[in-house]
Amino acid sequence: MLVGAAFITASSLAYFDFDTLPAFVVEKLPVRFESLWLASLRVHVAAALLAFPLCLLLTTRSLQRRIVWHRRLGRIGGVLVLVALVPSGIVLAFDAKGGGVVTAGFLVSAAIIAWFMVRGVLAARRHDVVSHRRAMRHVVGQMSVAVISRALLVGLDALGVDPDLAYVVALWGPVLASAAVVELVSLQSFGSIPSAATLMERIRRALSSLAPVVRARSVVRPLARLGR
Amino acid sequence: MFALVLSFVPSLASADEESLAAWAQRRVEEGLVKPLAGLEANRFSRARPSPRERRVRVVDTTATLDKAGKSFVPFAIDVRFGSEWHENDIVGCIYAGSGDLFVKRGDAYRPASFLLGKNVEPVGGVCEAGRPPS
Repeated sequence: MLVGAAFITASSLAYFDFDTLPAFVVEKLPVRFESLWLASLRVHVAAALLAFPLCLLLTTRSLQRRIVWHRRLGRIGGVLVLVALVPSGIVLAFDAKGGGVVTAGFLVSAAIIAWFMVRGVLAARRHDVVSHRRAMRHVVGQMSVAVISRALLVGLDALGVDPDLAYVVALWGPVLASAAVVELVSLQSFGSIPSAATLMERIRRALSSLAPVVRARSVVRPLARLGR
Repeated sequence: MFALVLSFVPSLASADEESLAAWAQRRVEEGLVKPLAGLEANRFSRARPSPRERRVRVVDTTATLDKAGKSFVPFAIDVRFGSEWHENDIVGCIYAGSGDLFVKRGDAYRPASFLLGKNVEPVGGVCEAGRPPS
């Protein structure tokens, strides 16, 4: 995914060369609100170039172990996504090539990202790691659509598929598949069978927490009997 | 003798038209199709992939006069991705005197360099037939 993000970064630098128009912009112009559209495109690209690698880093074990850094970088990522990436993406979605079907696809992806980013932040604030992990998987899953979709476009082009059809398939396919895969992974990790060692550890913890209660009862019960 | 000369007139006219169309076709291929092919590489972007093939069609073999009295020839470029041809992927015109190329984007015509990434504004009145002289 990081390699894909690097490829996107390399091909997106052209958006910041203000003298020339990249192929994607040439293809799109003219649009209804050209200045707004161009500004949104640049904000979206810049936000994605920072937010996607950052979110990928936040999923690594090494950064998850460093809680303070995870929290700080997570806040930066959350602000980038909610303030820049999603709003600019929504503006771009309304002029997406391919018409209403593609617009709907981008809006669904944006809605999933925004919804689960908010849910993930709220879960982190109440220290609900399981919900936080599931929500952030959805966010990263939808961000990964950018890479998977482009890879699919290259593959479908090699197969000679009509580019208009390929564009729809390469968008909706990864959007739905990412959501489904994240749900499956979350369900599996939630309902997975723990190892014997984990089970023993859980039993030991449960017993150790019960120990004072058992001891107290062993003292209280004989006293209660004496009182009868 | 006169009849013999007259018999040659249509064929000369035909040769003129053919040369104009051939010139326009060559100019569009050199000025637009080749640079576009050179510009396009396999990109990891949401831009449309480059077509397998492009073909130039000169739509009208005779020149038309625009509002400024300059003569132009309309053309279209068809593209092929798989086996099917998509007609009129690019439409535009070429000016007979200067060889200037314009392409239609939305409702307006811009210099063809726009397709090569130059940020050029639409040009009014080009590629549109002027009123016939009364």
